[in-house]
Amino acid sequence: MTTYVPDIEKAPEAGSRKEPSYLDVTKGFWSWAGTLDHKRIGLMYLVGVTAAFLCGGILALLIRLHLWTPDGAIFENAVYNQVFTLHGVFMVFIFIIPAIPASLGNFVLPLMLGAPDVALPRLNLASFYLWLTGTIMAIYSILSGAVDTGWTFYTPYSLQTQQAVVSMGLAVFTLGFSSIFTGLNFIVTIHKMRARGQTWFKLPLFCWAIYATSVLQVLATPVLGITVLLLAFEHLYHIGIFDPAHGGDPVLFQHFFWFYSHPAVYIMILPAMGVISEVVTVHSRKPLFGYKLLAFSSISIAVISFLVWGHHMFTSGESEFVMLAFSFLTMLVAIPTAIKEFSWVATIWGGSVALTAPMLYAIAFLIIFAIGGLTGVFLGTLSVDIHLHDTYFVVAHFHAVMMGSTALAFFAGVHHWWPKMFGRMYNETLAKISAILILVGFNVTFLPQFAMGSQGMPRRYATYIPEWQIYHQWSTVGAVILGIGFALMLGYLIHSLFAGRKAAANEWGGVTMDWESPTPPNLYNFDEEPVVTGELYDYGHGAKH
Amino acid sequence: MVQPVIAFQDPLGQLPPQASTFAGDVDELFYFLVWVSLASFGLILALLVYSSIAHRRKTPDQPALSNTTHNTTLEVVWTLIPTVVVMLAFAWGLKGNLDQQVAPADALQYRVEAFKWGWNFYHPGATTASEHIYVPVDKPVKFTMTSRDVLHSFYVPAMRAKRDVVPGVKQIVWFQPTVENGPLLDAAGQPQTDAFGNLIGGFDLFCSEYCGDGHSVMHRKVYVVSQEQFDEKPWDLLPEDPVGRGEFYYKLNCVACHSVDGSRLVGPSFLGLVGREGRHTDGNAYTADEAYIRESIRKPMAKVVEGYAPVMPEFTEAQLSDEAVGDILEWLKTLK
Ligand code: HEC
Ligand SMILES: [Cu+2]
Ligand SMILES: [Cu+2]
Repeated sequence: MTTYVPDIEKAPEAGSRKEPSYLDVTKGFWSWAGTLDHKRIGLMYLVGVTAAFLCGGILALLIRLHLWTPDGAIFENAVYNQVFTLHGVFMVFIFIIPAIPASLGNFVLPLMLGAPDVALPRLNLASFYLWLTGTIMAIYSILSGAVDTGWTFYTPYSLQTQQAVVSMGLAVFTLGFSSIFTGLNFIVTIHKMRARGQTWFKLPLFCWAIYATSVLQVLATPVLGITVLLLAFEHLYHIGIFDPAHGGDPVLFQHFFWFYSHPAVYIMILPAMGVISEVVTVHSRKPLFGYKLLAFSSISIAVISFLVWGHHMFTSGESEFVMLAFSFLTMLVAIPTAIKEFSWVATIWGGSVALTAPMLYAIAFLIIFAIGGLTGVFLGTLSVDIHLHDTYFVVAHFHAVMMGSTALAFFAGVHHWWPKMFGRMYNETLAKISAILILVGFNVTFLPQFAMGSQGMPRRYATYIPEWQIYHQWSTVGAVILGIGFALMLGYLIHSLFAGRKAAANEWGGVTMDWESPTPPNLYNFDEEPVVTGELYDYGHGAKH
Repeated sequence: MVQPVIAFQDPLGQLPPQASTFAGDVDELFYFLVWVSLASFGLILALLVYSSIAHRRKTPDQPALSNTTHNTTLEVVWTLIPTVVVMLAFAWGLKGNLDQQVAPADALQYRVEAFKWGWNFYHPGATTASEHIYVPVDKPVKFTMTSRDVLHSFYVPAMRAKRDVVPGVKQIVWFQPTVENGPLLDAAGQPQTDAFGNLIGGFDLFCSEYCGDGHSVMHRKVYVVSQEQFDEKPWDLLPEDPVGRGEFYYKLNCVACHSVDGSRLVGPSFLGLVGREGRHTDGNAYTADEAYIRESIRKPMAKVVEGYAPVMPEFTEAQLSDEAVGDILEWLKTLK
């Protein structure tokens, strides 16, 4: 096998295909709205979650602009509380949880397995419509009086507030089922739909990551569903489970909530890690360093992540033994996470490194993920967490993991598979500029937040003492830079759909099966049924072990 | 007590002043983690930057320099080092936390009631609540906390102390202040404020668990004073005259929701309240006379002013005595 060089001149002409691409095979609204094709469903998700990201992002900018002055520049406190709640709900439940699995996962997973579709195409479409219904319900809750509880819905505040908590809870319940359906589908697909010859250890790491994520989705999300249902019942009928006024325990809610929401952090980050593994190997033209360790670390992170939820509640009055256990287990998660980071760096090291747009996004991920991971250790450390808990340090930490890592990995993946999805390329110069703007903007936004958090600035404050103004202003400047970066991205991606140059069949020279299909793929993906014979990640000069 | 060999210094200069016995240990651990983080982050960044420059693809068909995918020594090293570091952080943090959990038996006992949106602090032996906390330097102090409504969290950054206040349970937090920092008083004995209107002196106390509209205004002070000053009960600020007392109770209980300058907060302004005419949500017109105001305080849900949410908490006898309500009335009459 020789090294692959993308040959743009020889990009396949429409006529030279054996079959029309999945984009051309049928036309019209219903051919999309009723489609069972995993690629079209993936694209509908892509459009949906991007729209959600846009809404959440605009809310984020409003938050940052409001905090320009200590007394709050824009909103009354009550409105500010609604704005940050909506920002959280949109970004967490509607954007980031489905972002990678449901859009990229849907598109890429069957291709990587050499399969014509996912195992359960109808369930896949149902999952999309549940997502859409949940989103519409969330928007309805906003219109019917908004929600000001924060995305965490802590009791008893969420039981006392006058607002649309019940309908927002039901929205989250519905979104949760969408997530469960997707997870279930992918588990079955990975078990049943692998190409001939594709053993488990010939699965690309993205598949491993999606597999680990799906297990989490199926096991953890029902707990969220039960929790928000109980919350709704408590709100409506005072069943006395979370409300101390009726004999309930508000801290129980926190246990239930974080039993889901900590694994949810890994529902977000594991697929991101999978994307980064793929991008890093292809653009370094080098097999992944420590493949098995990377695969097993995904699984071990998934397992341990079920046992650490109590680290969100170190100040709630847990017993010392409980704190000991949760702190210890939290520290354990840091180890496979560190292994992953080092393995990616080692993959790039000595590669044939192409600083393409997807690669720049991936490098930005590696930088910010290091920050997010390291600051996580601060928060897992008991005595230090007592000081940092519920401050901007936590805000900055989880934005590093969710926004700076998961969202960036999502965009790295979008740029990486974009030519495969649409058969067209975007303007790479602009893409690189936007990657750099986002990396810079992220750090200008969140490094000041780490600083003021360690000084004690509590989170979810509509107003603050003037000492912190300078940090808030820097943070707002950073958010504006981020906003420009994302706006630019949206611009050149949309432009590419209509006027981008034709992409090569294998734009980056990837060697996993997703690159073997025609570009864009056929309705059932491949011209011939693929069979796996060679090594995984073989770039043409054999892997040394 | 484990004393680390190296004292970790503050490379970024960003932690709040160290004002309690916890602060030294917490900060040293914090800076230990900062140094470890900076070192490993620097290493990762250097490797990334170096290889993306030195190993970058110069011709389209350039193969990778190396195809190594495995190196047992390296992998063992980068598993072991993080393991050692996080286990160290775990053990050190656990030890510090055990100290934070158990208050010494001789600690001075305070009682704290949190509510939307304010705090009532009861000093040892006091029957009236205070707006701010006074503690004697170098003595352990312990706070037993309850909440009247939702979750709050008692947070004094300078003491590195934080504890959620949970309705329905008693929560405990303690610390031992080490630095004197009393209020700055003017000639008349009144606390001074800076250009922004914030009190000078004292350590900040915040609510750090989200509790609604007034979450960020539950900002109070912890004044650390000498034992002699403490013995004079500096918290006992209840004025002699009824109007002064009324204002005192207002600051303690109502300030987050009612302004005195006519501006609208969560509730209607107190400016010109007595005798004001208005309308309730049931459509009935009313005049705010004394009886009405008393009822508004004791049973705020009975009649809700039009245009406002029914969120005013009930103030019971125990929280606000009849005399106190009388004082508030006297003071309200002066707001015209
Ligand atoms: C959590 C916020 C909050 C606090 C604290 C609070 N109030 Fe109120 N108050 C309100 C709101 C909102 C209204 C208007 C709705 C209503 O009538 O219940 C109100 C209404 C009133 C009224 C009727 C005003 C009118 O125009 O008719 C009086 C009198 C009053 N409050 C007194 C007090 C006093 C005295 C205190 C302190 C001891 C206090 N409130 C504390 C929120 C609050
Ligand atoms: Cu967690
Ligand atoms: Cu609060």
